[in-house]
Amino acid sequence: MAEGGEVEWELSKENIQPLRRGRAISALHQALSQRQDGLCSAINQQRQSFESELRMYDGDDPLDVWDRYIKWTEQTFPQGGKESNLTTLLERVVTRFTEEKKYHNDPRYVDLWIKFAESSLEPLDIYRYMQTQGIGVTQASFYIAWAEEHENQGSCLKADLVYQEGFRRSAEPHDKLLQFHKALQARVSRQVMMNMEEDDSDDEPKQPERVSLADLKHRGKKKAIAPVNRTGPAIKSVSGGLQSRGAPVLGNASNTRLVIFDENSAQSAGPSEPKQDPWMAPPTSRAKENEQRSERWCDVKMPQKTKFGHTVMAPPPPKPTFQPFVEESDQPPTMTPCKINPAVNTVLSTRKPCREETPLKRLQEHQQQQKEAESGKPPEQSMYCKETLLNGAAEFCFEELRAERYFKKMVQESRGVTCQKDQASAGAST
Amino acid sequence: MGLIAGQLASSNHRMTGSHEYKLNQGPEDSISAVKFSPSTTQFLLVSSWDCTVRLYDVGSNTMRMKYQHTAPVLDCAFYDPTHSWSGGLDAQLKTHDLNTDQDTIVGTHEAPIRCVEYCPEVNVMVTGSWDRSVRLWDPRTPCNAGTFPQPDKVYTLSVAGDRLIVGTAGRRVLVWDLRNMGYVQQRRESSLKYQTRCIRAFPNKQGYVLSSIEGRVAVEYLDPSQEVQKKKYAFKCHRLKEDGIELVFPVNAISFHSVHNTFATGGSDGFVNIWDPFNKKRLCQFHRYPTSIASLSFNNDGTMLAIASSYMQERGDISHPEDSIFIRQVTDAETKPKST
Repeated sequence: MAEGGEVEWELSKENIQPLRRGRAISALHQALSQRQDGLCSAINQQRQSFESELRMYDGDDPLDVWDRYIKWTEQTFPQGGKESNLTTLLERVVTRFTEEKKYHNDPRYVDLWIKFAESSLEPLDIYRYMQTQGIGVTQASFYIAWAEEHENQGSCLKADLVYQEGFRRSAEPHDKLLQFHKALQARVSRQVMMNMEEDDSDDEPKQPERVSLADLKHRGKKKAIAPVNRTGPAIKSVSGGLQSRGAPVLGNASNTRLVIFDENSAQSAGPSEPKQDPWMAPPTSRAKENEQRSERWCDVKMPQKTKFGHTVMAPPPPKPTFQPFVEESDQPPTMTPCKINPAVNTVLSTRKPCREETPLKRLQEHQQQQKEAESGKPPEQSMYCKETLLNGAAEFCFEELRAERYFKKMVQESRGVTCQKDQASAGAST
Repeated sequence: MGLIAGQLASSNHRMTGSHEYKLNQGPEDSISAVKFSPSTTQFLLVSSWDCTVRLYDVGSNTMRMKYQHTAPVLDCAFYDPTHSWSGGLDAQLKTHDLNTDQDTIVGTHEAPIRCVEYCPEVNVMVTGSWDRSVRLWDPRTPCNAGTFPQPDKVYTLSVAGDRLIVGTAGRRVLVWDLRNMGYVQQRRESSLKYQTRCIRAFPNKQGYVLSSIEGRVAVEYLDPSQEVQKKKYAFKCHRLKEDGIELVFPVNAISFHSVHNTFATGGSDGFVNIWDPFNKKRLCQFHRYPTSIASLSFNNDGTMLAIASSYMQERGDISHPEDSIFIRQVTDAETKPKST
């Protein structure tokens, strides 16, 4: 029987997200066996009880409930995904306790922050934010997670700086920090030995660059809307195709000895690399694909296009003095207009340009709002216990809260009754 | 039908106004729902957090009957003039014969039952629960006639002809066809930004009204065609200005006038408003009741409105005015759309 179970979990191994703390095999079995019939009611009940506990808690360690809830969620939803609601939970919990200084260096809270950072698109921004807010600055795990992120993005120097900062702030536990720092040094030295020097100096992590082999051409009758020609530095690196990237290396080396072109080391070909301008604006999300970076336009000419798409080289010839004969029936072929009314056709529509919203931005906005609320009276006040209702990831209504209070009271009363009975029986027996 | 005998005994009203009186022998805890009988103007069913369902003779202002659940009751409904159905925190669905005073437990949900409704067109009882399901019940046998999972906890539901409109947590609205429950006819998102409190269908079955926890009401239409959908709208209500701060109250109750298709809304501000959805006008506002309006019900001919003024612990378990039910006689002037 047990073997059958093991086979079962092996079969859906690829759906299980790795977890730093590992997973309980029993929880895994349970989660995977329930997978077939969707969300089962036991999970819903458990979640509901966590949600009500969040709202009913009146002790002095509210983080404990959150921590248990999130750990349960991780174990119960090995596939992750939307229904686990994990990202919402993490965002809620880190937002909720940003004001509470007592948690700022609580290992549980710092761990939650690290999980939150790992689940977001820009972990580095979040680590930087944590540092400015003073969250986890005396925790070794914070520096380790931050440094690992730097290392993953290929800048070991920065990772090392993070460790230095950790030592400076004498983060605890010191041994752990030291151990991870040594491991980093070992990895770096091994890389140096293997002559695979990473480019640490770059401010930004490298984007894999695509190289086009030929210029893009447009097809069909329609005009190309976007210019197919690249501008600025893009021309420099792209126009020549692959050869130009290798060429300077070859040229320099030809005097001394023959260097075999290695495409893996092409990254270090400095001279042909476009130099990046310093930041003019805050960094944007790097989750987008096919994004063209902004460049200086003053020395770039936009090629003019005629309606046939050819580049105009010279002014058009002057109009002939005579009127060319055109047959009356010979109308120029007109484009058939689009029959589909765009208002009706909603099958596919472009995404509306919405405000770009990252968890970090929301967090900052939340703080801003709190500050505003403190400084001036809010124009609106909700006449119900909004804070309590919102304290959790799932939605709750008054009746549910009241029901929870009722059940709690019932349990207490029944306990009281049994206690009285016990006392009465004890009194009778003595 | 021994109950109908007392129909004309309508004398000892305890008047609180010229055309309004308070019901005697009210429930001992908060009132969760008031429902008028579908066929007579006389009987009112009241469910309460004191674990009882009570039947009142509105004409003579007396309580005719009371039966118990093992836990607070969240909703009740008439099946016919002599049978009531009710469910609550004990997750049990009960039917009670009002003539013989006999209880039957019809079935259970996996979590508390939040709403109970009857659909006369299809002759089926409908219950919605926090276990994320809607169950149908055959009232003749009586037995379960199917369980239909919903995307989230059911907070409110309403029947429009043979269609069922379900409002769940997460601001979702689902329209089901009670004759064919194989699939969801329409999945919608509430057009209001905050939690759905109540949904009630138009008596003309063309749409529904949805109220939210933050002082807003939306009027929506079931027909998905663009022409009709253009008519939908939402408006703010149940808000009070106090020292420059706008106090925003939950809108807990909606009840439609069966003849005029106008509707009353009740909020936690203690006010009851009557609205004309066609001309987008408020027809009238009654005086402020002692505490939150928890439930409203027009009687079958639209001459009376039952108003449950009962604190719902929306601001926590604090002291509050007494829970009470008012019966108000309403006139056409208050409920009929102005023709001009």
